[in-house]
Amino acid sequence: MTRSPNGTPPAIELRGLTKAFGPTIALDHVDLVVQPGVVFGFLGRNGAGKTTALRILAGLARPTAGAARVLGHDVTGASEAVRQRMGFLPDVPGFYPWMTARECLEFAGRLFELDSATVSTRADALLDMAGLASVSTRIGGFSRGMKQRLGIAQALINVPSLLMLDEPTSALDPIGRKEVLDMIASLRGRTTVFFSTHILADVERVCDAVAILERGRVVASAGIAELTARATAKAIVVELENDRDTAMVASVLAGKNWLKALDTRDRSLHMTVSDLAAAQREIPAAIVATGAPLRRFEIDEASLEDVFVELVEGDDR
Amino acid sequence: MTGFAAFLRKELTEIRRTWRLWVIPGMLVFFGVTSPIIAAITPAMVKSMTASQKGMVVRLPPPTALEAFAQFIKNLDQFILVAIIIAGAGVISGERSSGTAILVLTKPLSRGAFVVTKILAQVFLVITATALGTAACLVVTSMIFTVVTVAPLAAAVALWLLYAALLVVVMTLFSAAFKSRGASAGAGLGFYFLTLLLSNWAPAARYSFLGLVPAMGEALTGRALSLGWPVATAIVAIVGGIASAVAIFERQEL
Repeated sequence: MTRSPNGTPPAIELRGLTKAFGPTIALDHVDLVVQPGVVFGFLGRNGAGKTTALRILAGLARPTAGAARVLGHDVTGASEAVRQRMGFLPDVPGFYPWMTARECLEFAGRLFELDSATVSTRADALLDMAGLASVSTRIGGFSRGMKQRLGIAQALINVPSLLMLDEPTSALDPIGRKEVLDMIASLRGRTTVFFSTHILADVERVCDAVAILERGRVVASAGIAELTARATAKAIVVELENDRDTAMVASVLAGKNWLKALDTRDRSLHMTVSDLAAAQREIPAAIVATGAPLRRFEIDEASLEDVFVELVEGDDR
Repeated sequence: MTGFAAFLRKELTEIRRTWRLWVIPGMLVFFGVTSPIIAAITPAMVKSMTASQKGMVVRLPPPTALEAFAQFIKNLDQFILVAIIIAGAGVISGERSSGTAILVLTKPLSRGAFVVTKILAQVFLVITATALGTAACLVVTSMIFTVVTVAPLAAAVALWLLYAALLVVVMTLFSAAFKSRGASAGAGLGFYFLTLLLSNWAPAARYSFLGLVPAMGEALTGRALSLGWPVATAIVAIVGGIASAVAIFERQEL
């Protein structure tokens, strides 16, 4: 078992995790380590295998091969010990429609055998956080967004060491989404948050680290900054004084082996380059050689979206 | 068994707050009230139906409290057992399809405790409802007839409850095994009619729980019954059914 630098086991550790449904391989030898206390985004397209991985981690499904450890416990062996310390929100949370939100949270708290004073205090705080404190109607009449917020609240009733959320923001309006993301960010350092999503902006906004899952395989796993720095393709924009200068510089640069794409418009060259260092040397040289006056030279940092598209499209090829 | 008490409390609250409170208890009280009345008016009804047919003379003995009890047991044996089958068909498959099983089973409650709690709550409902229905039957019967003793009724109801508990376990097993409520209801009805048919076969009735079905009627007559095998095999079937339901549910992926 892997251990973090301070000796505690990882919050999540997957080793060669494989899950097959008949001939369909949903997870294909997935290796992943999530350190305690981080907010970790599990990113992938619909059908990439995110929900299957979360179901295995939550003890709802069994792996075909490989191992899944949660908070140092094998999920197939010590499931009750694991469940005591985790919170889980499925992609479509199911509730008893005859309960109120408060009753649901109190029921969830009692399942952990918390004392009634603790349950009551936490239910108050979580209802407030979920924006449901003043709602007295039964859950059967809730919107999907309200159910999603209640789902997150019930997953926090035991103050879990690990909170696993499957697409927590997918059903929320922009304000609800912001509130949930703020709440997730506020847990950083206290609770490990592992959430799956296909919304890149959510990951960029709150995650410390991310793994990208594509067709059941982890194609990248690193910190956000490290991952974006890894992007092989960079965008460079050069703005000159006029279109004639732009055409001249473009003709000098054409054919360079590091130049992946070149587009000229509005006195500017928009380039995608595979070797940033070479481009940084040779583009200024080309401008000097043509004698064109330079207005702007800009290197665009790759976004998570660029990395995601690059990795996923690379996998498609 | 972490969470067992909380889940049992939820089950009992659910009975109180949903349709489940009204179906089986409502039917039992209804039959408790109407069975003595039907027993009382049956001779008059038969007489009026045959009055227009010349030459036919029907002589029926005056109705008794025993006939009221027999009518009540007959209704339990037919309508209430079918209601238990219908109500029990979705007891686990319903929680699975609505996603509530995931809500509960990602907390410390074990799958075994989940299944056992479901059975306990249903049996509690059936026992309570049967007590209410039997009490209603006794009250109305005593208002219409002279009740000499309640012992035969108590014996017949106790045998029926044992059979009903077995059916609850069987339905929980089917509900764990089948994905849809319809499939488990179909299997339950198949089980019910098969046991009804086989209970007419003397060796099966003597040496298995199938003997509980004819024994209910015999208990009302006050005759001494040999119930060792039927009761013992019913208890074994209940324990085996619970173990099987737990084993099946533990292997399932949610």
